[in-house]
Amino acid sequence: MKSDMKWTDETLPDKVVGKVEGRIYEATWEAFANQMIGGVRKARDAGLSLLVVDLTKLDYMSSRGLRALTLASREAVKPEAVTIILAAPNDQMREILEISRYDKIFKVVDNVAAAVPG
Amino acid sequence: MLVRFWGTRGSLPVAQKFGAIQGKIARALVAAGGRTFADEAEAAAFAAANLDFAIYGAYGGATSCVEIEGGDGSFIICDMGSGLREFGLDSFRRAAEGHPKVYHFFLSHLHWDHIMGFPFFGPAFDPTATIVVHSGHPDAEAGLRRQQEEISFPVPFEWLKARFEFIVHKPNEAFEAAGLTVTLTGQHHSHESFGYRFESGGKAVIYSTDSEHKVDNMESEAAFETFFKDANLVICDTMYSLGDTVSLKQDWGHSSNIVAVDLCHAAGSKRLALFHHEPTYTDEDIQRMHGETIRYEELVRAGRPALEVICAYDGLEVTV
Repeated sequence: MKSDMKWTDETLPDKVVGKVEGRIYEATWEAFANQMIGGVRKARDAGLSLLVVDLTKLDYMSSRGLRALTLASREAVKPEAVTIILAAPNDQMREILEISRYDKIFKVVDNVAAAVPG
Repeated sequence: MLVRFWGTRGSLPVAQKFGAIQGKIARALVAAGGRTFADEAEAAAFAAANLDFAIYGAYGGATSCVEIEGGDGSFIICDMGSGLREFGLDSFRRAAEGHPKVYHFFLSHLHWDHIMGFPFFGPAFDPTATIVVHSGHPDAEAGLRRQQEEISFPVPFEWLKARFEFIVHKPNEAFEAAGLTVTLTGQHHSHESFGYRFESGGKAVIYSTDSEHKVDNMESEAAFETFFKDANLVICDTMYSLGDTVSLKQDWGHSSNIVAVDLCHAAGSKRLALFHHEPTYTDEDIQRMHGETIRYEELVRAGRPALEVICAYDGLEVTV
């Protein structure tokens, strides 16, 4: 059973892109939450208002990971708002977003290039 | 142990309206496709084998009341929601057949939907009955007495004839009651609620309703994973979607189907019963939620043993 969670991020001219790999569950959610919140702050510090979470290499996240997204979204409200967009979920993750109704809370797009606020 | 659900709805009792029944009958007739049946039994067998539960059955609308058999022969009941009225009537039948008239109640909390059946609990008027109320709340007796006061109900508590005993238990300290080993634990809910772990003969049943697992306090869930550890059946508050619990219905004191699955997975629980159904949900809504929960369990199971996900309905019996 794979138990790792890997995060890398990159600051682009118009956004920060965080790439998450592995799976997020009860053993890895805290690291993921910290990285997500760090990504929000990184975007804000760079004067950017968009954090795209690239889910291409994510196997899945359980409710702990989803709720880490919520924690990050609360961090993203102020002082300057940062929009979080989820990009390129695999079929498994897309189902989880639908079942949890998180697809009603976060904008979900097919790829990073399609991640445009609004 | 045997677990019998007398009330599974959350917050407020609901009843099937004409349109819902009409829809079930119409769909069943369409599914029958012109078949003929020799008798009702044959028709019922066809329905059970070919129709969705939401069509040939119903999840019911009574509020929280769950009976557990398997202790010392006393009646064991979790909560006093509106399902308690029907349980009380059935207990008269069983008492007439020789069942001891000793009732052990275990209260999650004192909100109205969890005690509203008590004024209609017939055995409370029986001078030969003994009613023991176990709770984590020191004000459990006050809550039941207040509900009987004239402004709310015409029969004051003093008119009840049964012998009453109220016992307040400390969280996380196991005690013996009704032949079971029982532990309760505090849960996040307005005025607090308590979950129960019932153990007997190496089997464990968890009753955990009206319990919000806060997004900003996920560290506390390790305690619930311990409380649910290796349980054979976890009856869990799954009133809302996760999305609801972190947005509009945050701080409403309830949990979601997928948090329940994650807790059970981490705890190594064997079976999860979805419980405390949202009163605005139709049978189709609840069935859909059940199907989605089964699917979610598959999606996040990874290498763990499968968790069986069942959906509680009024009248369901589960052997543990």
